[in-house]
Amino acid sequence: MKVTYNWLKEYVNIALSPKELAQKLTKSGFEVEEIVFQDEFLHDVVVGKILKIEKHPQADRLVVCQVDIGQSTTQIITAATNVFEGAVVPVSLPGANLVNGIKIQPTKMRGVESNGMFCSGQELGIDENYFEGAGVDGILILPNDMKIGLPISKALMLDDVMLDIYVTPNRPDCLSVIGLAREVAAILGEQVKKVNLNYPIDIYSKDTIHDYISLNNLTDNCPRYCMGAVTNVKIERSPLWMRARLNAVGIKPINTIVDITNYVLVEMGQPLHAFDQSLIEGKEINVRQALNGEKIEVLNGFSYELNENDIVIADKDKPMVIAGIIGGTNSCINSQTKTVAIESAVFDLKSIRTTSRKFGIRTDSSARNEKGINLANAEIGLSRALCLVSKLDCGKIVRGIIDKSKGQNPSRKIVGSVMEINKILGVFIPEKVMSSLLLSLGIENKIIGDKIECIIPPYREDIENNNDLAEEIIRLYGYDVYEKSEGKLFENSAVTESVVNVRYNLERTYRNMLVDYGFFEIMTFTFGGNDFVKKLLLTDERSCPIKISNPLGENFAYMRTTMLSSLLQTATYNLSVGNKEMRLFECGKVYLSDEQPLVNLPNEINMTAMFVSEDGFDFFMLKNIIENLLSAKGEITISRSNEPYLHPGISADVYVGEQKVGHFGKLHPSVIKNYELPSNSYYAELNSSVLTQIKDKKLELKQVSKYPNVARDLAVVVDENVEAGQMLESIKSSCGKLYFDSSLFDVYRSEALGENKKSLAFNIVLSDENKTLTDDDIGKVMKKVLKALEYKFGAVLR
Amino acid sequence: MEEELKKIQQEAVEKFQNVLDKKMLADLKVYFLGKSGRLTAVLKGMRDVPNQDKPRLGAMVNEVRALVEKMVFDAEEKFAQKELEEKLQNEKVDISLPSKGVKKGALHPVTSMTDRLVDICVNLGFTVVDGPEIESDYYNFEAVNTPKSHPARDMQDSFYFSENILLRTQTTAVQARAMEQIKPPFKIVVPGKTYRNDSDATHSPMFNQLEGLVVDENVSMADLKNMLSIMMKRLFGEDTMIRFRPSYFPFTEPSIEVDVSCPQCHGKGCKLCKNTGYLELLGAGVVNPKVLDYNGIDSKKYKGFAFGIGIDRASMLFTNNTDMRSLFKNDVRFLKQSR
Repeated sequence: MKVTYNWLKEYVNIALSPKELAQKLTKSGFEVEEIVFQDEFLHDVVVGKILKIEKHPQADRLVVCQVDIGQSTTQIITAATNVFEGAVVPVSLPGANLVNGIKIQPTKMRGVESNGMFCSGQELGIDENYFEGAGVDGILILPNDMKIGLPISKALMLDDVMLDIYVTPNRPDCLSVIGLAREVAAILGEQVKKVNLNYPIDIYSKDTIHDYISLNNLTDNCPRYCMGAVTNVKIERSPLWMRARLNAVGIKPINTIVDITNYVLVEMGQPLHAFDQSLIEGKEINVRQALNGEKIEVLNGFSYELNENDIVIADKDKPMVIAGIIGGTNSCINSQTKTVAIESAVFDLKSIRTTSRKFGIRTDSSARNEKGINLANAEIGLSRALCLVSKLDCGKIVRGIIDKSKGQNPSRKIVGSVMEINKILGVFIPEKVMSSLLLSLGIENKIIGDKIECIIPPYREDIENNNDLAEEIIRLYGYDVYEKSEGKLFENSAVTESVVNVRYNLERTYRNMLVDYGFFEIMTFTFGGNDFVKKLLLTDERSCPIKISNPLGENFAYMRTTMLSSLLQTATYNLSVGNKEMRLFECGKVYLSDEQPLVNLPNEINMTAMFVSEDGFDFFMLKNIIENLLSAKGEITISRSNEPYLHPGISADVYVGEQKVGHFGKLHPSVIKNYELPSNSYYAELNSSVLTQIKDKKLELKQVSKYPNVARDLAVVVDENVEAGQMLESIKSSCGKLYFDSSLFDVYRSEALGENKKSLAFNIVLSDENKTLTDDDIGKVMKKVLKALEYKFGAVLR
Repeated sequence: MEEELKKIQQEAVEKFQNVLDKKMLADLKVYFLGKSGRLTAVLKGMRDVPNQDKPRLGAMVNEVRALVEKMVFDAEEKFAQKELEEKLQNEKVDISLPSKGVKKGALHPVTSMTDRLVDICVNLGFTVVDGPEIESDYYNFEAVNTPKSHPARDMQDSFYFSENILLRTQTTAVQARAMEQIKPPFKIVVPGKTYRNDSDATHSPMFNQLEGLVVDENVSMADLKNMLSIMMKRLFGEDTMIRFRPSYFPFTEPSIEVDVSCPQCHGKGCKLCKNTGYLELLGAGVVNPKVLDYNGIDSKKYKGFAFGIGIDRASMLFTNNTDMRSLFKNDVRFLKQSR
């Protein structure tokens, strides 16, 4: 909300500087986001009068002017062609620092002294709308009656200060100068001055409003509708003081009537609409729901097709306004307008919001209408507009107004508790202080024992309970009170127990482990394009990602169904900036649903996903990482994986017990090609949601034998297709009680072994709890081991 | 014989003084102590010594022998020590060569900030609670006092999937779910991803929030201040100060913004805090009683306070990072710095 310092001062006495006021406002809940001193770039610019113009002795295009600047005269050289002797012009003097960056200094132009510069409108930061002549290509020629020597900021009324104030959504009443003036008054302990709402009617005419307008229809979505009429309208430039205020708050001045509606909008927070009465067919106003398919061309230059959910202001034949949002071109104020009808109404905020969103039209009117305007404001707004018509003397005001309202919102009474308010705040504020703070906000109140009876003014619909009262009190009392208070932690509350979040702790363990394995944790957007479905060869439920209906763009429209898409996008980016080798991981969610559009919430699954692209990295290094991550869960088993994006021969699913918990392996060559990745790229994912459900293995520490272990090596030749893992299982079972450990330490192939043959060398460790094993004991076991391998796998001792 | 022993002793002392290498030492050892060595010869001669002289001469022989053995031992030690020193000299490596093995990676700056915050909260008795990111309009808005036409919805443009399902705009959604399930008194904290339809230099469409909620019989704004003060001190250091400014959130009443004294200049004013000495970091307030009642907690009996912090922003302040976008680009060169 943009207001000006002088505008506020019109309604409340302010002894503070604009900056001090801004600090006070911010501290009380109205954050001042920007302060603009309009004269920031106008110092050392004054009104001057050109007394004499002579040709420059050395330059054809320049003239030398003697200029009266009030206290003295000065010499200025200019190349401007629209100046003349006697012209009153803006003169920037040495020291001036103009908005376009020009700094004025005494200088010599072709040997002749020049002590300043004449200014164009642009150089003063104004345009033709603001001041006549400001738009011309040349020097701004000012009216003859301006006082010579006057600072230009005074002469052009550019001496106000704009404050841009953030108004929180609960305070729509402060989307107005008067609302903020009430706040300022409360902060400063001042009284708000009354707004002038008086206007003289045209006593020489017997006409009443009904001779100009009749209100035929009023939808339930319009709780109050007021309208007045003005005849003999003068459509012309509004006075400078009004243009100055509008200009300061960023509204372009247009003409008397339009400026008045905008002025009231800003001042009173009441959106108005002015019609050219002669264009209202049948002189009738219908505030109704639009007909399905009805069309209207509005002032932003576009046409819209309406439906029954939109409210329109229509005459006999046609919609003229999308109610509360924007006016149509068919009935607007124009240079020929003689009679004006001014509407001041309150519409259903939900309806305004829906229509405004649907068409994507946001105007100063819609912004206020959709936040809610209190019913009383409609009549006040109209009166203020008519008052301004008379002040500007731009028309004759017709007797009477139309005012139809459905219901009203009177002042409400609520009863608070002094003790409760202090309990909410946790500080002690005496009841008398509470009472006077509330009163300063216009809340009449009475304290009876612990009770505080409050009369809430209609414009404060946000105040309902003790908490609301507490907020009003503390924000005026000052939150500084807490800066001094140093209480004890939780002195007023019970001890609570922190329950372990298994998912968080599990992922945190994985994250820390992966960092030790050289991985970098990443955090990616959970949505993206849907090209990953094809590029990752997905066909199952992961091939139908959930779509956002209002995404930032097609490339941000689909929720990921696999972490791989995010990791590969990150990998691709890193490759593009020259990061060739990488180990990446992310703990995040994937989102799956079998219905679209969503009716139920989808399935969100937590995943810990890893990507490695590195020379020398292989399946077994990845397998080692997976084994170590899962070691807390107990025995894991693996089997060949058929994940579409993994290499079918170099990938595995991993299980804890019967439960599949993830998969890992080399990426499928097609995926590597689709993403242009280095050929040695690996992916692994563990389902953290599933793993969260699996308890860690119970740790039982058995006593180990006090006798030494013995180790034996055994090399056998088997067919190529025999899997070493199964042989290790067999070795384990053959060793029985004496088994301690076994591992594969060599795989060897040669012509001598024969085609499709390989030699596998195992290291077998045996241990006995009760004695040192003898060669004889060991021999027996090894024989048994070999026999089983021969029998099960056709192994031949090497 | 006595003469002979004295000579041997003298000779030994001289010779051992001049031993130059291990070879010479071995020769000397044989020369004196070997099978046909000087001392062995004397020992052999003991047979011919008259009995009354035997103890005296025997003792003398032993004395000289012990002396020689000691000299052999010392010389051997000296050479072993010298050899070891040479060996150590030769085995010296260039310790400036790089280390071997897997170099550790790094946590993401955002999750590492999440961990810090969670640790602080858990130590204060908070339970970490999870909830869905794709959320119903009910939990995201309705249940936390933001019905459909509520102006506050303007503050949060949402990503929708269908009329009533959206990406949560605030972790507050999880608080509503928690209130339905957990009986007061409780303290919960919800870290997680949140989404708003908004993207520019200072806004990311996906960002991270951490929200805390305390519900108990007698908690107040002052308790909120005490707790946040401790949390921020633990995060940014003991000399950290906080201050409150009034604000508005539908979920809380009164609502406040919490400024934290600038970790860079400690409140003196610098570029980071735009010379204000403070940085806006949290939103907080006393839970609106309507929200408690709506979610099945008796507001006559219980009160609550809540706070929310932008984890990304906190992380940026903590690491002096000036561009939010760097957090989600995941350039390894950027991430390596956290190692």
